[in-house]
Amino acid sequence: MIQLTNIRKKFGDNEVHKGINLEVHPNETVVIIGKSGGGKSVMLKMIIGLIKPDSGSIVVDDKEVTTMTYKQLQRLRFKFGFLFQGAALFDSMTVGENIELALRRHSDYKDGDIRERVQYALNLVNLENVESVMPSSLSGGMKKRVGLARAIALTPKYMLYDEPTTGLDVETADGINLLINELKKTLGVTSIVVTHDIHSAFVIGDRFAIFENGKFILTGTKEDIRNSPDDNVQKYIESEIQT
Amino acid sequence: MTDKEQPKTLYFTHFFSLLGKGTVYFFEDLGKYFSIIWWMLVNSRNAKEYSRNIFQQMVTIGNNSIPIVLFVSTFVGMVTAVQSSYQLYDWIPRTVVGALVTKSVLLELTPLLTALVLAGKVGATITAELGTMRVTEQIDALEALAFDPISFLITPRVIAGILMFPILVVFGDLLAILGGMFGASAIAGISNDAFIEGMKNSFETWDAVFGIIKAVFFGYIITSVACYQGFKVQGGSEGVGKATMNTVVITSLAVVVMDFILASVLL
Repeated sequence: MIQLTNIRKKFGDNEVHKGINLEVHPNETVVIIGKSGGGKSVMLKMIIGLIKPDSGSIVVDDKEVTTMTYKQLQRLRFKFGFLFQGAALFDSMTVGENIELALRRHSDYKDGDIRERVQYALNLVNLENVESVMPSSLSGGMKKRVGLARAIALTPKYMLYDEPTTGLDVETADGINLLINELKKTLGVTSIVVTHDIHSAFVIGDRFAIFENGKFILTGTKEDIRNSPDDNVQKYIESEIQT
Repeated sequence: MTDKEQPKTLYFTHFFSLLGKGTVYFFEDLGKYFSIIWWMLVNSRNAKEYSRNIFQQMVTIGNNSIPIVLFVSTFVGMVTAVQSSYQLYDWIPRTVVGALVTKSVLLELTPLLTALVLAGKVGATITAELGTMRVTEQIDALEALAFDPISFLITPRVIAGILMFPILVVFGDLLAILGGMFGASAIAGISNDAFIEGMKNSFETWDAVFGIIKAVFFGYIITSVACYQGFKVQGGSEGVGKATMNTVVITSLAVVVMDFILASVLL
C-alpha cells in the first residue's frame, strides 16, 4: 500500500503541494487528474524518493520513504516501474539495451534468460523485432510502449505512469490505455497514473483524485466525480464530453 | 539626503546586492560540484561495475579526439619553429630553434592548447549529452531503475578524461616536434640535423613528464566540470545551450589558472 500524508512542497516561492493526502490500495489503479504544470509528476517522483517533500509522510509497504537512506531508496525502487512522460529512453542505447539494462544490473539472469525476458516484456506491450532499433527511430506511441516494457522488465509491484497518453493521437492513446489495463490484469500491479486526460482516466482508473491548486479537491469513484457539484471538477467532465 | 545622492545610493545598494547574490551563488555552486566529486570518490568501487562505460568513454574522449589534437599540435610546432627562427635570426646558433621548439611544446604549448581545444570538443559534448539526458528525464529514469547516475555517467567520463588526456598530449608532443622540424627546414631553412642536435642538447625527461602531469589535471578539470554543468541543467534546450557555453568558459579559465599553479609548484 502507498500512503501520502499531509505532503507539502515548495519550489522557491511556488508552493506546489499544500498538504496532500492519498491512499492507494493493493491492485487498484488511482488516477490523479489535474492541469499540466501543477505538480502531479513531482508527486510520483516523491513516492520513489527522487524528490523530497518539505514535510509530510510517504509510506510504501509500511516503510517511511522520506527518511530512507540512499541504499534503502535503491531497494525500494526495485518495487516500482516508472513510465515517464516522454518515455525517457536512453537514446545512446538500442531498444533491447534499454530494457535489459536494469536486468543486467539487478538480476542474476544469464544472457539467454535476459534475452527471453526482453522478448517477454516487448510481447506484453505488443512490439516485435525492435530490439536493435534506436529510440530516435520510433514513433511517440512506440516509445511509450518501449518505456513500459523497460518499466515492467523487473516485474514491479507498483507502476507509476506520468501522462501516459500525452502527445499521442486518439487511436494510439486508446492502445496505451488498453495496455495499462492488460498489464494490471496480467501482472496484478498497483498503479498510480497522472494525467490531464479525463477520457483516458475513466478508461484505466478504479479511483480518481482531482488535483487543483496544490491539493486534492475530490477523491472518489467515477460516479463521485460525475455527480460532484464543484465547478473545478465539472470542468474536467466537460472536457471529456467535448472529446 | 539630496536628490543627487539618492540615485548614487541606490546604485551602490544594487551593486552590493548583486555582488552578494553572485558570491552566494558561486559558493553554492562550488559546494554542489565538490559534493558530486566527493560522492564519486566515496563510491569509486562502483566504477568496476561500469567498466564498459569507462571503455566507451575512453574511445569517445580519446580516440575521437586524436585527429584534432594531431592537427593542432602539428601546426603549433610549425608556427613555434618559424616564429623562433624569425625572432632569433642572426643572434644565436641555428640549433637553438630545435631546443626552443622542444622545450616550448613539451612544457607548455601542447598540453595547454590540447586542453583548450578539448575544453571545446570534449567538454561541450559531455555537457550537451548529460544536459539533454537531464531535461528528457533520462537521468531520473536511471535513478528510477535503481542506478546511481553519478557512478554510471560521471565517474566513467572523469576516469576516461584522466587516462586519455595524457595519451593525447604524448601524441601531440610527437607531432608538434615533427611539425617544428618540418617548419624549421621548409620555411626557415634550418637543417633537420641542426634541429635534432638542438633538441637532443636541451631535452630533459622531466619536461615531458611535467606536460603529462598537466594533462592529467586538465583531463580531470574538463571532464568533471563538464559533467557537473550537464548534470545540473534546468529549463529545456535553452538550459542545455547555456550550460554548454558555461562549460567552455569555465574549463578554459580553470585550465589556464591550473597551468600557472602547476608551473609555480612543479618547476
